Amino acid sequence: MRYLPISILFLLITSCSLQTTKNLIVIDASKIEVENPYFSNTNTDYVYKAKIDIYGKNFGGILIIKKTEDNSHRVVFMTEFGNKLFDFLFENDRVIKNFIIEELDKKFIVNTLQNDFKLLVSQKNKVASQYDSGQEDIYKTIDDKQFNFYFINKKSSILDKIVSTSKTKEKVEVLFSNIESEIANTILIHHKNIKLNIALEIFKKD
Amino acid sequence: MHRYVFILMVLFFSSVNAQEEKMTISEIKSFKILIKEVANNTNTITADFVQIKHLDFLTNDIETVGKMAFKTPNWVKWEYTNPYVYSVIFKDNLILINDGGTKSDVKISSSKLFKKLNDLIVKSVTGDMFDEDNFKISYYKEDARYKVIFASKDKKLASLIETFVIHFKKETGAVMEVKMIEPSQDFTKIVFTNRIENTKLNDEVFTN
Repeated sequence: MRYLPISILFLLITSCSLQTTKNLIVIDASKIEVENPYFSNTNTDYVYKAKIDIYGKNFGGILIIKKTEDNSHRVVFMTEFGNKLFDFLFENDRVIKNFIIEELDKKFIVNTLQNDFKLLVSQKNKVASQYDSGQEDIYKTIDDKQFNFYFINKKSSILDKIVSTSKTKEKVEVLFSNIESEIANTILIHHKNIKLNIALEIFKKD
Repeated sequence: MHRYVFILMVLFFSSVNAQEEKMTISEIKSFKILIKEVANNTNTITADFVQIKHLDFLTNDIETVGKMAFKTPNWVKWEYTNPYVYSVIFKDNLILINDGGTKSDVKISSSKLFKKLNDLIVKSVTGDMFDEDNFKISYYKEDARYKVIFASKDKKLASLIETFVIHFKKETGAVMEVKMIEPSQDFTKIVFTNRIENTKLNDEVFTN
């Protein structure tokens, strides 16, 4: 019986701890910044076919990302017909809403979109701490109230995944695959707290 | 010397202007009759298209290609084939979408924006957009084609697409090109080729 309070306490502690860093070893940070190389070339137009699944409803579109200056990225989403749905400019830590259609201009939607795409394009990120999983080096960065974990494969030195969390919960996971010369041909943005998934496939002409 | 440069420039610009002239009232009248006749006599249209999206901040325009099919009264299939496979069918009160195998449908009555979009696509394919209530229309003629500019009067529509510019083939009245210009001056241009009219199109073409 006297073990019960201890077990409850143990359960509370483990359930509050972040899944992302479970079983990982904390090590000394080996670098100051962790880099996301996938949208880093100002000469490249990054154009993706997007499939969005929100609460079981499907939408398609085209996502365009362009690094316009050293610390700025333009992110535009449009329908297959070419009608713009939103147009954001990410500049340092600021986000400028150039355009959004009325139907999407709701605080919750705008915040979610801006958060996701900031996570996706943010190139150089200051490392707060570092972990080791055996196969990956994991770099933790702090962005306001959220933490972002960058998973870099030790063998290939490729950024495979970014996980964004609160103090206790994973919120968004970004998976990069089919990497060719610093371009991620396939990207999945998977939300854990809302039913929203975004699948991106780069434009390739036959 | 400067005078010669000036004269050359005037000649150059006036020759550019000569290619595009405003249509006269009687020319507009007969042009509208031609378009109406074409619309009345066309039961089906098939065509290939190239869609070009211009965004000022991009290094290159984005190009997609596909096929279009139209059947009276207002069925349209719009199919992208490269660089991805995606089709939309506008049929009665439904929009059927097949996004590389993921199928979905939207009831048009549930969305005003979709209804407007549907109307515009169907109308621009046949060229029958001469709606003075919704557009300020101006008419120009070039060597082998007519150019008609439709400026959106509706504020909501104008915030998305400021003007539609449609090029018609002079002899046949067929739509050759549709350009949709946004308030930012970014645009989408659709160029039609291999247009075939009144070929038999089964209803199955308009299913996902």
